[in-house]
Amino acid sequence: MFNWRRRREPDFTQEIEAHLALEVDRLRGEGMSAEEAQATARREFGNVLRAQEQFRESGRWMWLDHLLRDMKFALRVLLRNPGFTTVAVLSLALGIGVNALVFSVANAVVLRPLPVSRPEQLAFLEPPHHPSISFPDYRELRDRNQVFSGLVGYRIVAVEMESQSGPSRSWGYLATGNYFDVLGVRPYLGRFFHPADDSRPGASPYAVLSYGSWKSRFGGDREIVGKTIRINRQPYTVIGVAGPEFHGTEVFYWPEIWVPMMMQAQIEPGNSWLERRETGNTWTIGRLKDGVTRSRATANLNTIAADLSRRFPSTDDGLRFKLATPGLVGDMLGALTRAFSFGMLVLAGLVLLAACTNLASLVTARGKDRQREIAIRLSIGATRGRVLRQVLTEALVLALMGGTAGYGLAFVLSGVLSAWRAPLDFPVQFDVNPDWRVFLFATAISVMAGVLFGLAPARAASRTDANAILKGDQPRWGRGKLAARDVLLVVQVALCFVLVSACLLSVHGLQRAFATNLGFQPQGVSIAGFELGLAGYTEEKGRDFRNHAVENIAALPGVESVSDSNSVPLSIDQSSCSIYPEDQPNLRTSESQSAIMYQVSPQFFHTMRIELLAGREFTWHDDAKSSRVAVVNRAFAKRVLRAESALGRRFRCGHGGELTEVVGEAEDGKYESLADSNQPAFFVPILQVYNSTTILEVRSSLPDNEITARIRESLTGLDPQLPLYSTGGLVQLLGFAFFPMKAAAIALSFFGVLAAMLAITGIYGLVSYSVASRTREIGIRIAMGANQSQVMKLVATRVAALLAAGSVLGLFLALAAGSVLRSVIYGASPHDPRVLLSVLLTIVVLGLVSSWGPALRALRIDPAVALRRE
Amino acid sequence: MPTQDERDRIALLQGTLDLLILRTLLFGAQHGQGIARSIQLQSHDELMVDHGSLYPALQRLEKQGWISAEWGTSSNNRKARFYKLTKAGRKQLAHETGQWQRLATAIGRVLGPQESEG
Repeated sequence: MFNWRRRREPDFTQEIEAHLALEVDRLRGEGMSAEEAQATARREFGNVLRAQEQFRESGRWMWLDHLLRDMKFALRVLLRNPGFTTVAVLSLALGIGVNALVFSVANAVVLRPLPVSRPEQLAFLEPPHHPSISFPDYRELRDRNQVFSGLVGYRIVAVEMESQSGPSRSWGYLATGNYFDVLGVRPYLGRFFHPADDSRPGASPYAVLSYGSWKSRFGGDREIVGKTIRINRQPYTVIGVAGPEFHGTEVFYWPEIWVPMMMQAQIEPGNSWLERRETGNTWTIGRLKDGVTRSRATANLNTIAADLSRRFPSTDDGLRFKLATPGLVGDMLGALTRAFSFGMLVLAGLVLLAACTNLASLVTARGKDRQREIAIRLSIGATRGRVLRQVLTEALVLALMGGTAGYGLAFVLSGVLSAWRAPLDFPVQFDVNPDWRVFLFATAISVMAGVLFGLAPARAASRTDANAILKGDQPRWGRGKLAARDVLLVVQVALCFVLVSACLLSVHGLQRAFATNLGFQPQGVSIAGFELGLAGYTEEKGRDFRNHAVENIAALPGVESVSDSNSVPLSIDQSSCSIYPEDQPNLRTSESQSAIMYQVSPQFFHTMRIELLAGREFTWHDDAKSSRVAVVNRAFAKRVLRAESALGRRFRCGHGGELTEVVGEAEDGKYESLADSNQPAFFVPILQVYNSTTILEVRSSLPDNEITARIRESLTGLDPQLPLYSTGGLVQLLGFAFFPMKAAAIALSFFGVLAAMLAITGIYGLVSYSVASRTREIGIRIAMGANQSQVMKLVATRVAALLAAGSVLGLFLALAAGSVLRSVIYGASPHDPRVLLSVLLTIVVLGLVSSWGPALRALRIDPAVALRRE
Repeated sequence: MPTQDERDRIALLQGTLDLLILRTLLFGAQHGQGIARSIQLQSHDELMVDHGSLYPALQRLEKQGWISAEWGTSSNNRKARFYKLTKAGRKQLAHETGQWQRLATAIGRVLGPQESEG
């Protein structure tokens, strides 16, 4: 096995033989007999085997030989203790698995670059406040910049796509002609569109399908290229299919289709904005030229931006850019996502740390029992270094076994997660399948874990006093000095404290989020959405359809009230505009405040139960013929209009918008997310400002599914071809708003439960060990007349002290970790005394539960048996 | 039983064997048995080389690059592995000799007065 060593062993043996022969020659020359000379030479040489052994030990590959032998031995030891091994591998698997899973999510969302060529050259252009710019601005940036080899503009859009199963709502991208060329991706079938295909408005009815939609909607038809499909009831030619790995430029969004930007007016009927400077709908990604730094690019962009804001002050005032990593819409989602991923990684790391401490104390306890074995090995000549290595190897083998199991666990779970579709009217999906980074990470943390929990027993082993152990001295534990395992338990309890408090905080936060005043009452409301523009309705026909729909549904039994609007609060589709109050005529664009806008029908406030604080609701008379009116919320009145009472005030929506008078004031609410605070919002009559996007709100006493079925029936009666989306109970459909919190609560609860499990086993192990190693002492005390409470005190005092110390430490850690927790949990206040108290209670319960068994065992010790045992 | 001189020879201090080997090789290539013999003779039988530790020491020196070795034939026609001082070995010898002499002088100084007193 040592062929690869420079000098081989036979050569060495030969040399020794040569030496012996020379010695014999010399001794015979001095007059000895042949046998005598042989014997003397051998004697003088000493132990030939020992010399050979020393030679072998000096070999370069010796460590590998030792390692293999140590590993074999470790495996034997571990197999001999299946119970211990199972517990250890399982807890490691959980700890490492959780970390690998969290890491693979973070990897997918934050770390992994987009699957395009040279992704490090791509930059997302991020203007202040809002991630998008107007299309005319995009054009100027594209044509005037000197730093990008290509600049693409794109937008997420919903379309009505017809496939084998009829028309349905789908999501895709409008993208400029250079999109695929700049990104550098290759088609799976057919071709992609190029700048020449995207030169004139309305002249490029081409579609590129995503691999997913090609498979699911068109059955993977290999002949699809060149076929015509209907989008928004108009014919488009399929020119190509994208590869399975390419999902556009947002990591969370899996589009079904790409359409050239020049088809914007057809894709978003009734809202053509390609020439409008007022409409900022375009997201931009640029590919930096070779050798251009990000700071130079930013400077170049801002020179153009300064010129734009000088030339178009009403729309571009204060325009500036910074460059962000593409994939998460700049800092809008990026900052939050990064903070969240980091927080989760920290918490997962804590779980692993808890698992390691647990194992360290478990292994240390075993180490004490193995002291005899180690003492024997030391006394028959093993060096301390070898023993140390052996103990560490054992820990590493264990860690790698746990790591493998954990990686497997993460692999399975992330597969499930990747396949999972959030129950939203929006293709939110992540590809969190682990890649080599995750594998590397899992391996690294396994080795780290092994070293971490192997250190304590290794220290103990290297200190073994062979003499004392072999003479039969019992290692002492239980009184006096603080032992390493005591420290471990304190650390573990502290970690458990932190994780359980994170878990309780998140659940608490979630409860609060559900109980929080949303500014409307989703309970009892069912909704149905449809897009009349995509379905080919003109404004006039659209109004008729809406009025008919509202009338028909209002007539259904059990329906209390019906309204319609362009959107509902907390859904994904929110629009806003900049507000110019009448009394501030010289307001600059950069100083104007933006407010969320809803176009609603009469009865909306009643159906949604939005409380009017002053003024009136809209009526059927607030239509196109009468003067413009609006209802604003409290925050709008105070922050935008700077007025105690907004009634009678007038403002414009957008610089050139029509003057609108406030006729009512409503309570504040949550509009974009649950984290909103005092967000200005206003409502205008849909009869005055038409929008083809329609959400019907129906308040009724019937169960959600029943009323939803009736609504569906009634709408299908009016237009059987109209695709509906977002149908169901409003509470369920608000899932989008609650989704991050729910995900956090589930993950954190999982962490908390894991930590509690680890703490239970840790405390149980400690108390059992304490009782076992003091059996004799307890036996004597019972024999001398100690009563039950005295025995109990003996066992419990130390545990209670350690728990208390751990809790105090954990309390400080939890307070210190407050900022991390706050990034994960909405409305988390880590200083909430109720939460801290319940954590403390949890720890006490955990302590009681886990020390119950061993304590009972202590009480049942029979002095006669205990004293005779040896 | 052993007939060879019973008088106590000095067992070699750890580390000094290396120095002595290098010194011996200064006079030319030599095989292991020759080196041991040479040390013993030059020290007028005062120093005893433990043959068992000689070869690991040679191995060590070879690995350090201070000596090189190749198989050859001894004066009485036996196959033996001959060791030769390398350039690095010469440097090392000079360095260690200096070290040793300083140590010996220092120890001599410490022990000196005691001797004169007694």
